[in-house]
Amino acid sequence: MDVRAYLDAGSGSLIVQAVVGGAAGVAVAARLYWRRLTGRFRRRPSGERD
Amino acid sequence: MLMPPSVPTAVSGRGLAADPGSFRDPTTRVFHADGQVLRGLDPRAAADWRALAATEFFSRLLAEGKVCGTEIVDPESVPAGTAGRWAALLRHERIPFVSYPYEWSFAMLRDAALLHLELLQAAVPAGFTTKDGSAYNLQWRGSEPVFIDVGSFEPAREGEPWAGYRQFCQTLLYPLLVQAHLGLDFQPWLRSRIDGLEPGQMRRLFGGIRRFRTGVLTHVHLHDSLQVRYADAGTGAVRAQLRDAGFSRDLVLAMLRGLDRLVRRLDWRPPPSHWIEYRDTCGYTPADRAAKERFVGAALAEAGRPNLVLDLGANDGTYARIAARHAGYVVAVEGDPAVADQLYRRLRAEGERRILPLVMDLADPSPGGGWRGVERGSFAARAQADAVLALAVLHHLAIGRNVPLPEVLDWLLGFLGAAGPVGRLVVEFVHPDDPMTVRLLANKPAGLFPDYRRDEFERLLGERCRILRRLPLPSGTRTLYLGVPRG
Repeated sequence: MDVRAYLDAGSGSLIVQAVVGGAAGVAVAARLYWRRLTGRFRRRPSGERD
Repeated sequence: MLMPPSVPTAVSGRGLAADPGSFRDPTTRVFHADGQVLRGLDPRAAADWRALAATEFFSRLLAEGKVCGTEIVDPESVPAGTAGRWAALLRHERIPFVSYPYEWSFAMLRDAALLHLELLQAAVPAGFTTKDGSAYNLQWRGSEPVFIDVGSFEPAREGEPWAGYRQFCQTLLYPLLVQAHLGLDFQPWLRSRIDGLEPGQMRRLFGGIRRFRTGVLTHVHLHDSLQVRYADAGTGAVRAQLRDAGFSRDLVLAMLRGLDRLVRRLDWRPPPSHWIEYRDTCGYTPADRAAKERFVGAALAEAGRPNLVLDLGANDGTYARIAARHAGYVVAVEGDPAVADQLYRRLRAEGERRILPLVMDLADPSPGGGWRGVERGSFAARAQADAVLALAVLHHLAIGRNVPLPEVLDWLLGFLGAAGPVGRLVVEFVHPDDPMTVRLLANKPAGLFPDYRRDEFERLLGERCRILRRLPLPSGTRTLYLGVPRG
């Protein structure tokens, strides 16, 4: 994380911004969701909630 | 308005006192010295400032007064040890009276939210963003909102959402939704929670068909669902994933435009019955009104142009406007959120920059809040005035709220503690036989307030003030006093 970001922006609060951004944003959210689903980003310890 | 000059200027101040409300971002800190407002910047923040100061959009926002006036000062001119860790020092324009979002009316909070979004919509195309989205980033010059947190601007990283969105929701959007959609005053919610309302709390308020009200489904329900779902996912990883999935600056702008449209659509007006009830409480004859206006005008005209006047129980702002003719700045405090909101809308339409309307129950003035109870200053700590107007308000406190008369007077005079011999108190005593007092007394057991009499009031006032003038109003049931605090 960038050292300048002093706030916890909230992961959900970051993702919801894609959906609020209209059709192009929904496409980004769908791509993110699909990639998470297919495990592309699963580099975290097992048992962690997704 | 202060503008960023090319050559640093000197600071004339002995010691610096850190502002207790400015610790959250460790890269910058606000200080006070000899009435000046200074901001220290660490090396990274100083580099951000230099980049920001060179942009066209920031210069324009400064010139338009939408961001508080800011100039760079020479850190060498600050006493050794105080500016040590800071790579650069800025001097800010002084805001005449610091107020907080829980003291603002609905339209004030909405205009503050819109200014925040406007700044971001100007910053993002220029490659900048703000680190946060707090309502506390904003202050007022009268009825004009101004963005004060210059340290919040930073260069944006391509493909990242706005870090301040959550804070914007919690301290600006959600309070507006609560008032616009549910008709509930938002001020107590903000006052009791320094970080504002959380999506999970909002979701419970907006269950059933209320979820379909404008802006609620996405900004509240979906927001909360995603927060719960991704509670364990670090924001660093999510940022990287969003970037990989194609998140872009255009999406940030689209989101900001959507928020802007939403906030503009939100409105709140009290039911018509509110105004009928309100009119019943304002019974003045034209002769009373004229005499009172003359008395207040003369009292302040003689006071040598006070810097700050507090109008406590400001009502429709008639006397605040009179005060503004004779004073530097007027803070008009009104307990009824609808009345304060109407006053703000009128002042805003007129472009009035020297009267600040605030919403506050005078029997429950803002306490200190946040970390150690000082991150947000109490009203008493902020309100050191040169003159106080307490017109048609004393009986509401003494009878309506059972506050003993000596305590009401001590409280009023407390605001003049630093004014010395130029301090002025203009106070109206509403006699026990006035229709308004009779109405208030009718709701209390007979004989509960034996000391609520004009002679006793005068005795108490005389103990504390030199009474310069008194004027019984033509209707015969109200008397005005002009006093100068003793000692």
